[in-house]
Amino acid sequence: MEIAHVDVAERYDLDGPPPASGWKLLTRPGWIRAAWMTALFFGLGFGLVVLFRWWGNWQPIVDWQPIIVVALLTTAPIGFLAGLGAFDYWIYWALGKATRPEDHSGHGARSWKDYFRINTDHKVIGVQYVTTTIFFFLIAGLLAMIMRAELAQPGMQFVDNQSFNGLFSVHASLMIFLFVIPAFAGLANYVIPLMIGAPDMAFPRLNALSFWLLPIAGFMMLSSFLVPGGAFAAGWTNYTTLSIHQPLGNVFFSMGVQWAGASSIMTALNFLVTIITMRAPGMTFWRMPLLVWANFTTSLLVVIATPFIAGSQFFVMFDRVMHTHFFDPSAGGYVLGYQHIFWFYSHPAVYIMMLPGFGIASEVISVMARKPIFGYRLMALSLMAILILGFSVWAHHMFVSGMASWLRVPMMITTLLIAIPTGIKVFSWLATLWDGRINFSTPMLWALGFVSMFVIGGLSGIYLGAVPIDIHVSDTYFVVAHIHYVLLGGSLFTIFAGIYYWFPKMTGRMYNERLGKLHFWLTFIGFNATFFPMHWLGLHGMPRRVADYAPRFGDLNFVISIASFFLGASFLVFVYNMIVSWARGPVAEGNPWRALTLEWQVSSPPPVFNFDEIPQVVGAPYEYGVVGARHAVFNGDRARVEAGDLEKVH
Amino acid sequence: MRRGSLFQLILIGVLIGAAVSAVALLIPWLPPSASVERGRIDIVFWIVTAICIGIFAIVFAVSIFSYMRFRARPDDDSDGPPIHGHTGLEIAWTAVPTVLVVVIAVASAVALAKNDHIPADHMTVEVTGQQFAWSFKYPAGGDVTTTELRLPLNKSTELKLHALDVIHSFWVPQFGQKQDAVPGITTHLKITPDKVGRFPVICTELCGLGHALMRSWAIVMKPADFQKWLKQAKKGISGPGAGLAVFNNNGCGGCHTFKPASSKGTVGPDLDDLSASAKKAGQPLEEFVRDSIVDPNAYVAPGYPPNVMPKTFGSLPKSQLDALVQYLVTGGKQS
Repeated sequence: MEIAHVDVAERYDLDGPPPASGWKLLTRPGWIRAAWMTALFFGLGFGLVVLFRWWGNWQPIVDWQPIIVVALLTTAPIGFLAGLGAFDYWIYWALGKATRPEDHSGHGARSWKDYFRINTDHKVIGVQYVTTTIFFFLIAGLLAMIMRAELAQPGMQFVDNQSFNGLFSVHASLMIFLFVIPAFAGLANYVIPLMIGAPDMAFPRLNALSFWLLPIAGFMMLSSFLVPGGAFAAGWTNYTTLSIHQPLGNVFFSMGVQWAGASSIMTALNFLVTIITMRAPGMTFWRMPLLVWANFTTSLLVVIATPFIAGSQFFVMFDRVMHTHFFDPSAGGYVLGYQHIFWFYSHPAVYIMMLPGFGIASEVISVMARKPIFGYRLMALSLMAILILGFSVWAHHMFVSGMASWLRVPMMITTLLIAIPTGIKVFSWLATLWDGRINFSTPMLWALGFVSMFVIGGLSGIYLGAVPIDIHVSDTYFVVAHIHYVLLGGSLFTIFAGIYYWFPKMTGRMYNERLGKLHFWLTFIGFNATFFPMHWLGLHGMPRRVADYAPRFGDLNFVISIASFFLGASFLVFVYNMIVSWARGPVAEGNPWRALTLEWQVSSPPPVFNFDEIPQVVGAPYEYGVVGARHAVFNGDRARVEAGDLEKVH
Repeated sequence: MRRGSLFQLILIGVLIGAAVSAVALLIPWLPPSASVERGRIDIVFWIVTAICIGIFAIVFAVSIFSYMRFRARPDDDSDGPPIHGHTGLEIAWTAVPTVLVVVIAVASAVALAKNDHIPADHMTVEVTGQQFAWSFKYPAGGDVTTTELRLPLNKSTELKLHALDVIHSFWVPQFGQKQDAVPGITTHLKITPDKVGRFPVICTELCGLGHALMRSWAIVMKPADFQKWLKQAKKGISGPGAGLAVFNNNGCGGCHTFKPASSKGTVGPDLDDLSASAKKAGQPLEEFVRDSIVDPNAYVAPGYPPNVMPKTFGSLPKSQLDALVQYLVTGGKQS
């Protein structure tokens, strides 16, 4: 199909306002205004705290802990966002001033500078998300390298105990809140409006705001290394009462989670409204690609569950800063209450980190095996089953916590039941491969690598679901092995499948296939060599979250550390491939994978408003091998279909 | 599907199953068992392992067979057959895992119920966790308190766990049993040792900067030996020589030098010149010694870091604490 190329800059006024000068330089939205507004809002927060403490006669009047919470971690980021221009439209509207007419200058990116501005184009935001999350992924990976260096030998070598505790706490927090969750949100941000035939997300300004909350959360967590006492060091789980007794850095986690969580919730609401209201004509729920289904269920999980972690972190912070007693047993607080609230989010969060990956795997496997997804409806329904069951299993993280002991067996049963919908998905992917024409391209390698590694992670999950075994291996390296098989072999592999799969769509250029495959095999080998031996360590008595361990585990830990450096180095291939291919890769076709879903029916990269003609969806998204099947036709096509001329077009 | 392909598929499955079984059986995945409870855990472990080997073999056989057989040739642009589903298969792979899951759940629930059940004829030990040490108190031995856990062979012991500051978790890999000690509540754990020996006690819940060092030992003794030890320990802490007994039970000599007890530890200050230290701290000797045991951070001797000495000794029963203080204050002369 020939893709109509419309000069969008001509059709809409995309040049934006004229260049500013003088005072305008300081007051127009951008980094200059962000700089002074951040400082101003920090000052406001500082003044507020000091004023209240002076008024209440609380000594000392200048107390740095509440000042940091209010001024540095709350008001200063609001000033930063306001300075960048995230709230301009809403503030003009709220004040009753004339809002600037939508000139579409916030759409599209014409230079690299546009990626550092508030931009309301879902495709620009998608790229912002993916590059930002890769940045934090590399940093979190480096923290893991320092940990493995320390763990290469028993005894203490490079860091002290508190720093080590900070390293794994920040590593996990960045990987979860700044990489896996937002990387999926970023890929979906780019792809979902295209997949459902929409020009953008439902709330573009909210979309821009959700992205800009992320770097705030990330730098907040990272900067905790700089405060006295070091980074937050009570693990990403931040259990009380330990977290209440930790140095100042702990509030950087409690507040960082608020910013990342707010970002998640806003994006999820945006996805829900977009998916429910903006599907192209003919795109019924049973015609949606599975990635759309996956993000629909994920977004439901996010909006229902995320407020719980926000609450748990607020309570912990109030116990620290405001001397409340939510979790202080000496004043009637309930320590286990924290864990129940925390895991009521953080178990569903596991599925928030898995379901979008299931969606990506379904897209890639169907296209690369040239076959319809096996059991499409059951695949969609099993996502919904995981969504519902996912809310009934949180206490399986607490089998040894001392909670009501009767709660363990019901939680074990619901936990094991999740194996059924998950099994349905794995078997359906295998059946999709069966009798296909499998193209082992880089995205396919990652998707197949995901299926096999996720099976291993799922099987070790059965051990952990069975209460008696869990009692033995809980809080050991067995758990470390399990979560990395699920989150690295599962989530990370599908994120890479998605990045390679949509790279030509996002950049308009093709990545280097040989380097892509090299990256896969290096990561695959390094990953298994690093994490598989950890099962043994855990079963034999090595607890997690320790900088030092029994000397008899020394040899195996040395091997694991070497393997982990190999694993870490494998991502250099990825970074090189992405940068060079984005700059100089061969120009990509509109549809290099011969896929049927809508995002591949437009140019690469797509036009600024995605579709110059609204597509009409006429069939299922994966009808490979069905003669004459179409997922969608464009208006021009329809005229030709009616004229019986379609065969000539394709 | 042709018969030859089916045969190939099954062959691959059998080979993978055999290879994984070899990995499961030849590598010693579990540490030696030393309790009845671990025995039950191991049974559940092997049931789950058998099921997992089966699932693994099926999944990887189908995968590897598909990779080899259905690889597209470079010039092949055709599509596969448009198979949309198969109701029978879909019912099968919903029903079979359901059955397997039920098997695992029932086996786990039975093992758990038995491991939780505390028989009427049991011993009780009070366990206290505090940054970064364990202490064990034996009500049957007149509340004698130790830093290493001693248990009689083949007798069920109920551990009542307490935490004084943050959450800790008690684990002995050879016993297979683990339980968090939580501030504000008492938690319970049952252990029935079935091997004599010395096994590591490990804290598995992150409890702060000394978490990795929060270790102790569990010593399983023959019942007669245990009774003898307990009797002596009980006698030791009440009569003459009580101070020395408390000093030894609580492992003071591991960190401190004290000539009357012939201990040579150098982690903490030398206890042979306590009166000089008391002067430096500006406190009467007896008050200084008592405070230093109960609240070690109140005064930290120059040259030693704070937060090294555990605060657990604050929970010593009064009579034992008194005996220890007298013992130290009098320079080893017993009261």
